[in-house]
Amino acid sequence: MRRWFKFHQDLGLQLLALYLFLTVPFLITLATFDRIVGEHIRRDIQANDLSLARAIALETDISIGDSLKSVSELSKYPSVIDLDDAGMESVFQVAMDTSPNVNLIYRLDESGIMRFHYPIGPVSTVGTDFSFRKYFQDSLLSFQPLISEGRISPTTDQAVATAVMPVHSADGKYLGLVGMNMRLESLSNTLAAIFAEHAADEGFEVLILDSAGQVIAHPNSEYLLKTADQILPDVYKDVLGGNSGSIIEMDLGGVERLYTYVSIPTVGWGVVISRPTSAAFATQILLRRVVILAAGTFILIGLFFWGTLAIRVIRPIERLVPISEAIGLNQPIDALSQIHLQSQTHREDQIGQLIRSILHMKDSIAERMREQATLLETSTAVVSSLDPEIVLDQILEQMGRLLQIKMYAVIALDEENGSFRIRASRGLSNQFTAQLSIQPSEPDSVTMRALHAKEPIQVSDTETDPSYAIRRQRARVEGFRAILAVPLNTIHAPPTALLVFYPTPHVFTQNEIQLLTSFANHAAMAIENALLYERSDMRLREQTHRLEALVQSLQDGLILSDLSGEVIYANKRVGALADLSVRNLTGMQTEQILARIIDKASSKQDGKRKAQKIMNNRGEKTVEITQNYFDQVVHLRLEVFNVNDEEGAAIGRGVIFHDITADRELDRMRASLVSTVSHELRTPLASIKGYVSTMLADDVEWDRASQHEFLTIISDESDRLTNLVNNLLDLSRIEAGSLKLSREKCDIRALVDRSAKQARTSGKNKLELKIAQKLPSLYADRLRMESILRNLIENAVKYAGEDAKIKVEVGKTGEDFVFRVSDNGPGIPLQENQRIFESFYRMDDSLTRLSSGAGLGLAICQGLVRAHGGRIWAEPQEAGACIVFTIPIKMNSSSVEQKKPRKKASK
Amino acid sequence: MNITVLVVDDEKPLREFVRRNLEVRGYKVLTASNGLEALGVFQNEHIQLVIMDIMMPHMDGLEATRRIRQDSHVPIVILTAMGEEADKVRAFDLGADDYLTKPFGVGELLGRVKAVLRRADWSEPVSSGERIARGEVEVNTERHKVTVRGEVVDLTPTEYNLLLYLLKNAGKTLPHRVILQQVWGAEYGDEAEYLRVYVGKLRQKIEADPMKPEYLLTEHGIGYRFEA
Repeated sequence: MRRWFKFHQDLGLQLLALYLFLTVPFLITLATFDRIVGEHIRRDIQANDLSLARAIALETDISIGDSLKSVSELSKYPSVIDLDDAGMESVFQVAMDTSPNVNLIYRLDESGIMRFHYPIGPVSTVGTDFSFRKYFQDSLLSFQPLISEGRISPTTDQAVATAVMPVHSADGKYLGLVGMNMRLESLSNTLAAIFAEHAADEGFEVLILDSAGQVIAHPNSEYLLKTADQILPDVYKDVLGGNSGSIIEMDLGGVERLYTYVSIPTVGWGVVISRPTSAAFATQILLRRVVILAAGTFILIGLFFWGTLAIRVIRPIERLVPISEAIGLNQPIDALSQIHLQSQTHREDQIGQLIRSILHMKDSIAERMREQATLLETSTAVVSSLDPEIVLDQILEQMGRLLQIKMYAVIALDEENGSFRIRASRGLSNQFTAQLSIQPSEPDSVTMRALHAKEPIQVSDTETDPSYAIRRQRARVEGFRAILAVPLNTIHAPPTALLVFYPTPHVFTQNEIQLLTSFANHAAMAIENALLYERSDMRLREQTHRLEALVQSLQDGLILSDLSGEVIYANKRVGALADLSVRNLTGMQTEQILARIIDKASSKQDGKRKAQKIMNNRGEKTVEITQNYFDQVVHLRLEVFNVNDEEGAAIGRGVIFHDITADRELDRMRASLVSTVSHELRTPLASIKGYVSTMLADDVEWDRASQHEFLTIISDESDRLTNLVNNLLDLSRIEAGSLKLSREKCDIRALVDRSAKQARTSGKNKLELKIAQKLPSLYADRLRMESILRNLIENAVKYAGEDAKIKVEVGKTGEDFVFRVSDNGPGIPLQENQRIFESFYRMDDSLTRLSSGAGLGLAICQGLVRAHGGRIWAEPQEAGACIVFTIPIKMNSSSVEQKKPRKKASK
Repeated sequence: MNITVLVVDDEKPLREFVRRNLEVRGYKVLTASNGLEALGVFQNEHIQLVIMDIMMPHMDGLEATRRIRQDSHVPIVILTAMGEEADKVRAFDLGADDYLTKPFGVGELLGRVKAVLRRADWSEPVSSGERIARGEVEVNTERHKVTVRGEVVDLTPTEYNLLLYLLKNAGKTLPHRVILQQVWGAEYGDEAEYLRVYVGKLRQKIEADPMKPEYLLTEHGIGYRFEA
């Protein structure tokens, strides 16, 4: 399965398979063709040789047959039988003439002795015993003609074979034999003729063997009567056995030959034709050579083709595969592959192109990766810091590195002066960055065009671009020829753009612009982030600061502790209460601090009990304790609360020390107001009711004088009540700032007199009035002036007693009238000088210790004096009290200015 | 015989109104315009009743009452413009016997004066030489002497009268109104705060632990009961 996959994955294997698929059948066809054709040729040749051999055999057989017939005929001649030399001569002569092959006819007697031969001369062997001859031995037993082995005839001295016929008498007695010597040469002549026919055939041989294995006929007479084993391999044995056929054997010289043999059965001879296979099968060999050459050539071409393909195509492709994979995975390519690849790059074919384009791709991928990495670094930089300056700086740094640009800048709208200024830059002169200011009203500037179009705008050559004509000088001075502006996509931040300058004319490519747009987006993000952070941070800091300041400056103390009671936070007020510095508070136990605070409680036992009650965390959350600090009474309300997290689980506890002293004071003052007013109203009412009920009483009859006296008092007290109500109304108007004065010219003496009268100074009281000379006219609200003076005189009477001396002095200093009301009473304690003018304030906590109405009276006085534009104060003196007030001489609209006098005066 | 009354008030019209009305009805009246003056008069004269305003310069009525009460059981009626209960309780605490809230008429003035004088009349015989004992509390009605756990206790006339009435009705739950009318006088009935103050004072004097009374028991919303 793997191999199969591999096969599918391996282009080389596939091509090899295709190659084999094409060549193997071709080679098989070629081999089959060679085989069939070779066979055919061989069979042809063998058949040829065989038929030739048969023809020779047949011819030989015939000529031998003729000889045998002749000899057999001769044996029947009586002359022959009778050994009649003359008769034999004639008979033999005739026979000689008809048989050209025969060179000797002779007659042996029964003892094998030569009796006659024809021709008789030149050498005669008559009388020679030939009984040793094998054919003689054979003839003894035969009645049939037979043929002898080849031999040299001693008579003719020629190689001959003898056809022999035993001669028998009529009664069958062996009488010798008749022999007829056939010249072997004549047989060979036939062969020579055949040989000559085959002269073209190299190495062609033909011979006839006799039954003894001697060469009987051979084109070359030298070979006659040589034994077959001298010139032939063992094939001759087969043919002497009477077989025919053909065989390829090595000859004695080691040459492969095709032997074809046919036996001549009548005489036991054999014809053998042989030729070297090289010659015999020349066609076939040629054909085979052609086939082998063709196959070899085919294979060689195939191999060459394969090799070329492998080296030139497959291997480069195979090498490209891991490289392209490595490129895809962005892994490094090893040096060897690199070298291999480089060596191929100069090729001009498609492979070369492929490699080049892959290398190009690799470079561009690497480039992209670098860009991405830089962008990534940029975005990392964007989030790494929230300081916009640092982030911008980093972005510019990255940008320069990636784009290999030298001059670039970030330009943003400076909201303060409404123009675009360079915010950060690289490679630009300080002068340029400082001076460049683009007004938003310059719609044809590159920056503004980019910002309006919300897409990058470039001027690829400032010298030729008509839109840049008016700024050309600027470009020349700074030394740039091309400019690109990329707008930043800002929402919260002011409009901003990236500017890139080139010292030479430069058309910014889509890739560059895209990259810069990416940078612009990053930069926008950074600026936005930083801005939003700055805002939120500022807000947060402000809030925290405010909160901190608020908590620290709280009149209330605050302790926050964890669950174990350890203090996490405590404010200044707690420090003041516990008499500890704020630094020491953190880390202490809440209980400790509480104990220190309670230490100053008016009643320590009570304080401890109350504190335990709330710290036990059972039900009660607040207690009030009273503290004494250097004779100052402070009322604290302690409130404990749990600090919970978002899920409501307790994470700590807090204790608040509400300073409720002011509340208490307010409560007291409110109660004081009610009781004061109530008292002030009840006092005249009591008199009125008293005298009315006195007059109504049935049991006593009052005289008229008394009745008149009572009624007078009732009337006076009613007036007093009215005045009091008016005063209260005035006071509320003063408090509300809505008091309206009706000024008129006043007689000062009359004013004081009326006031004194209303104040019901007793007869024992001495009222002294001193008015300075040449005073200007006093313009004031008469009724209010009377109110002031009456209140002051009343107070003097009340505090100084019924026999007090009351002095009223009126003078002038600068632009004011000065009124001075003094008595010889106990005076006013120094520390109370100011507070006595506050509403409802009385000089002691104890309401009962002072006479009624004092606070109210002075408060009313102060309000009315201020309404007139004057001032009032208590003046320390040796004995008694002295209240001084001023009224401006010039009547001005001070009453309007003094609309809310109480507020300004209060501390 | 004339009863001498000291009237103290810083408001002359009011002082005169009281003085005139009492004089015309046969009382001898002395006046003072503040607490200090009042103390001076009190020390030099035999005063049988003090009528005193609270708010006065130099020394107020409450302080003067406290000082008078240090060595005298003379009945004191407080005049006050303040109607609040806290002030009344404070006045009672300091030893006042009764008070009048301004404004008041002649009838009320005379009624209070008479009732206070009646309660303070020690010489008035209550049957003859009776000794009443309930638990650890024993009263000698002849000598107006009260003994608790063997020790003589000093009581003001009103306190004495209240205790006596409660002892006589020991075991019974007595409503506020009944107690007030029986002890203070027929014109009383709504002044439950008097009782609260006086019962509190009695508890201070006769109970072993005033916070956990054994004899003077409060019946909430109804009145009081002396448990023997």
